[in-house]
Amino acid sequence: MVPCIEARSLNLTFTPKNRGPVTALQGFDLQVSKGEFLTLVGPSGCGKSTFLNVLLGLLKPDSGELSLNGKQIHGPGQERAMVFQEFGLLPWRTVLANVELGLELKGVAPLIRHERARELIQLVGLESFQNHYPHELSGGMKQRVGLARALATEPEVLLMDEPFAALDAQTRDLMQTELLQIWERTKKTVLFVTHSIEEAAYLSDRVVIMTARPGRTKNVFKIDLPRPRDYEMRLTPEFNDIKATIWSSLKDELGTKAAGNGI
Amino acid sequence: MAFKSFFSDYQRLLLGMVSVIGVVLLWELVFTYVIPLNPFFFTKPSLIAAAFKEQLVSGTLWKDVAISSKAFLLGFSLAVIVGIPIGVFMGWRRRAEYTLDPFFTALYASPLVALAPLLIIIFGVGLTGKVALIFLLAVFPFIFNVFAGVKCTDRLLVNVVRSFGGREKDIYFKVILPSIMPYIVAGARIAIGRGIVGILVTEFYAASEGIGFAISRFGDTYRLPDMFAAIMVLMIMAVVLTEGLRKLETFLTPWKTGQEAR
Repeated sequence: MVPCIEARSLNLTFTPKNRGPVTALQGFDLQVSKGEFLTLVGPSGCGKSTFLNVLLGLLKPDSGELSLNGKQIHGPGQERAMVFQEFGLLPWRTVLANVELGLELKGVAPLIRHERARELIQLVGLESFQNHYPHELSGGMKQRVGLARALATEPEVLLMDEPFAALDAQTRDLMQTELLQIWERTKKTVLFVTHSIEEAAYLSDRVVIMTARPGRTKNVFKIDLPRPRDYEMRLTPEFNDIKATIWSSLKDELGTKAAGNGI
Repeated sequence: MAFKSFFSDYQRLLLGMVSVIGVVLLWELVFTYVIPLNPFFFTKPSLIAAAFKEQLVSGTLWKDVAISSKAFLLGFSLAVIVGIPIGVFMGWRRRAEYTLDPFFTALYASPLVALAPLLIIIFGVGLTGKVALIFLLAVFPFIFNVFAGVKCTDRLLVNVVRSFGGREKDIYFKVILPSIMPYIVAGARIAIGRGIVGILVTEFYAASEGIGFAISRFGDTYRLPDMFAAIMVLMIMAVVLTEGLRKLETFLTPWKTGQEAR
């Protein structure tokens, strides 16, 4: 396995205005292999999203090392693209123009980026909506645009920060299966964050459980289910066993967090 | 059936016309049949229409409109060009906000027409003085609306553009500018009203031409139908500008159509 992302003893503390400092990451370690689908699961506020933002280059760690293909990460870069939980589509841009955003910022010529964006819009099945504005789309469609936009810049690593959390249950199931199909075709390294054990087990090669704040990696579970996976797989006893194992590791952290907050 | 759908399609227009025509007719009828008209103190639509026609034919009206419009357009354009960048700067840079806010808040809150005599002393009774007052009145709505708009810019969208490698310039042009567009239009709506007040005040005060001068001269000489005709012209100007702005708004913010709460 070729290592792609390597995080070693990352520390990050926020000092919000008028409040005490919050340690989001403390001694955080993680290795992700090339082409791997890895999911981070942990209690709310454990630093999962913080780690993604550090990896994306929007936040700087206080200390520790973070490298991509052996190179230190300083700020955003073309090898990484994020799919945001709240979609983050520009409301004044049509679907086509939104998908083009990354290419436009890279300075790609209009004709080339139109073509590239159209291909990706086709990949996510929105051909007939390319001139629609985001407010005319359903949640699921918005996130398809978010996915197409991230893929358009041809990143090596796809970061997904609870991308399906804002969707209804059925759309969510559908999007998970579509994501798997796209992932199998494009062979990106995917770093996925979710609260859903089911989602983590269904999608991932490995699931990393994080501790309650400050976030560290607690357990790593390898999911040995065969691929391609489909919805029926979720109904098997094996799948339920995997969920049960993950849950038993996660539930202590939820308890710790609740106790820590005095609930 | 056909009538019903015609009515619901055009009900805004139809009801608007019925109400305007109704009020004008009532005004005319009351002063023709109920209350005897004292032409020193009041007038009625038929006399206004006649005065309006006469002013149109003689050409004085066009000249006044042209002179006032020129001052308005210059002052208003200057307010747009100066107000928007200042508002963006204040909204995006905290230190700029802290430095400029006390001044601008005081100036926006005070009745700036009080400065009219001073501006006339400095810039004279001609075009420059008018432009200066119109600018001063119209610039603050732009500054403060744009400022509020920048403050409401979605942090997430800024991060999205940054994450794709966008620089400060990209954040200004691809996020902030489009997202403050509705605020600019709202500012313009207020600025139009204030700008028209600016025309009137300077022209009432010291001028030898223009629509404001015409109104005050007709008033001084008890030519009420002529005065009302001039006021009507001013009203038409204001309505045309506001309607034009509405059209411009749908053109500038096409993503907003169909999103109204009603």
